[in-house]
Amino acid sequence: MNLKTVEPKKIISSCIFLFSAAVAIFGFLSIARRFHMQFWMLAISLIVIAFFYYFLGFYHYLKSENKRAFWTILFGSTLLLLIVLSSFIPELVDLRQWEISARIPNYFFYSFILVIIGLISGYISFRPFYNYTKEGIQVGAYFILHVTMAITVLALFLIVITITMRGIGGITWEFLTKDIISMGEEGGVYPAIIGTLALIALTAVIVLPLGVGTAVYLVEYAKKGPFLRVIRTAVNILQGTPSIVHGLFGYAFFVVILFDGQKSVLAGALTLAVLTLPIVTRSTEEALKSVPDEMRDASLALGATKWQTIKEIVIPSSLPGILTGTVLGLGRAAGETAPIMMTAVYFSGAGTPSGLLSPIQALPYHLLTLYRFFGYRDVESQAWATALLLLIIVLGINISAIIVREKFRRRN
Amino acid sequence: MLSKFMSKFKENKSCETKEMPLNVRMQVEDLNMWYGDDQALKNIDMDIEENKVTAIIGPSGCGKSSLLRCLNRMNDTIKSSSIEGKVWLEGKNIYDGLADCVDVRRKVGMVFQEPNPFPFSIEDNVFYGCEINGMDFEKDEKVKRCLKDAALWNEVKDRLDENAMSLSGGQQQRLCIARALATEPEVLLMDEPASALDPIATAKIEDLIDELKKDYTVVIVTHNMQQAARISDYTAYMYLGELIEFGETNQIFERPEKELTEKYITGRMG
Repeated sequence: MNLKTVEPKKIISSCIFLFSAAVAIFGFLSIARRFHMQFWMLAISLIVIAFFYYFLGFYHYLKSENKRAFWTILFGSTLLLLIVLSSFIPELVDLRQWEISARIPNYFFYSFILVIIGLISGYISFRPFYNYTKEGIQVGAYFILHVTMAITVLALFLIVITITMRGIGGITWEFLTKDIISMGEEGGVYPAIIGTLALIALTAVIVLPLGVGTAVYLVEYAKKGPFLRVIRTAVNILQGTPSIVHGLFGYAFFVVILFDGQKSVLAGALTLAVLTLPIVTRSTEEALKSVPDEMRDASLALGATKWQTIKEIVIPSSLPGILTGTVLGLGRAAGETAPIMMTAVYFSGAGTPSGLLSPIQALPYHLLTLYRFFGYRDVESQAWATALLLLIIVLGINISAIIVREKFRRRN
Repeated sequence: MLSKFMSKFKENKSCETKEMPLNVRMQVEDLNMWYGDDQALKNIDMDIEENKVTAIIGPSGCGKSSLLRCLNRMNDTIKSSSIEGKVWLEGKNIYDGLADCVDVRRKVGMVFQEPNPFPFSIEDNVFYGCEINGMDFEKDEKVKRCLKDAALWNEVKDRLDENAMSLSGGQQQRLCIARALATEPEVLLMDEPASALDPIATAKIEDLIDELKKDYTVVIVTHNMQQAARISDYTAYMYLGELIEFGETNQIFERPEKELTEKYITGRMG
């Protein structure tokens, strides 16, 4: 690329873009790391961006594109005005005057302004590249979408990285195979791993027929009307119920009434099944609805009964969706603490489960126990290792769901 | 629900029967149909002759697809629909309380507007009807014969275990015809079978229909008048749920008796 053939406005606007992006990232990181942003940092960043826009405006003026010059310079001036305005932000913004019990330090606002300004001026800086056509606006919009996507991925990435970095050292062969000794300070987490896996497996066995059966009834058999709406709403409410409420219900119903006050893996699995039932039902419903009616008609027109149609056509075609939903539900179940706390686990005491009615230890609850001993006992590395194990199990479940789904999709 | 159930135990256990004229495969007698409160079909009377192609034409929304779906009770799947009248097949009324709609659908096959193969292999697609009806056939032979009848055998004989979704639109539609033939129906209903296809695939389907009428009775709904003129022996013209005119295709297209028919055929309406 020959530099002489590049228009100056393109150079200026790429400078604007690079600097704005840097400013947005800088602002974002300063929120995340609580790095104390000073007023002069904000001021310098805004002044630099504003001057870039003045350059651009001047260039437009030289080319006698007066309208564009006006808007560009107006935007630069707005940035300078913003500096003046933000100097009025007090050291500590007290929201209690509006009856919100919070105080926000001013550096938080500085960071916030930087992110917003970085994104907006990045968004605008694409326009000169495309000669102010609508394509430039589109590219700017894509930029914003990319940023939101990047933030989402970054959050996931940060979780995985943090847990892995801190936990990987604690995972040894001993840690995986030994019993829990003295509240997790020594020994390993073998019973908790087995307990979690047993819980998930039992939950799957209970929830799959119930959830799929309910969904098939709702989609294929139930008549449209108030009854169906009530059931749908009930399922939705069940999904929104806090897990601690499920735990209390499980304790009151399964543990006390069914099992005579004895906590057990079965009671825990039943409670988790109630918790995951709405997830499985909803996703199965969606999967069943996505099977086109033409397919059902084709089967019926060949002399199949409705049940044959459901069994041979509808369920096999929606199997990938059903499996994905079930596994997502199980992933949720694997990480829940509150429901099993009251129904399945004993305070670090339980060993490897010997049967359906024996209490267990599970990874999320073990993690909670370890956290309670922070500062009293030397358990921090064990806690991170436990968290990593839990993460691996949940991610493993989800990845296996993806693999199974892709396999089915390819076959169909 | 209960009354429907109890009707199976009525004293008179035999279906309503009637002597049907020779050469007539199906007879529609005074058929009325409603979707909710909207009447879609009004007093339809029609004889469908054996080993002939009967075309139903008419402008959109005139009830031609509804009439077709009445012939194999596919309208039962639409909850709001209700029917009055009789449709005779083999001397029995298929809307009799004792009639088995599943059995009716096996005897009266149907091909839909959009090709709708099942998402599994070609041979399983063809054999599906036999399997669910418990028909005892040699699978390979049956599949081969049906695919040959549907003029698809040469194109797919080396890849019978491939997914039917990988076929082209025209091939999918012929596969659907093969699938419908596998249950050995007496009548084959086709609901605009070529409207989603390109001209070459359409020509193939039309040739196929001409072949099929040697062994089957075909009823076809089409909005393409040239197609009706090319392939059918009898033509029914419908308008706003009424059967305006029904007769031999030549007569309908050359000397229509009703003014409405003439208007439609000459393209002044519809």
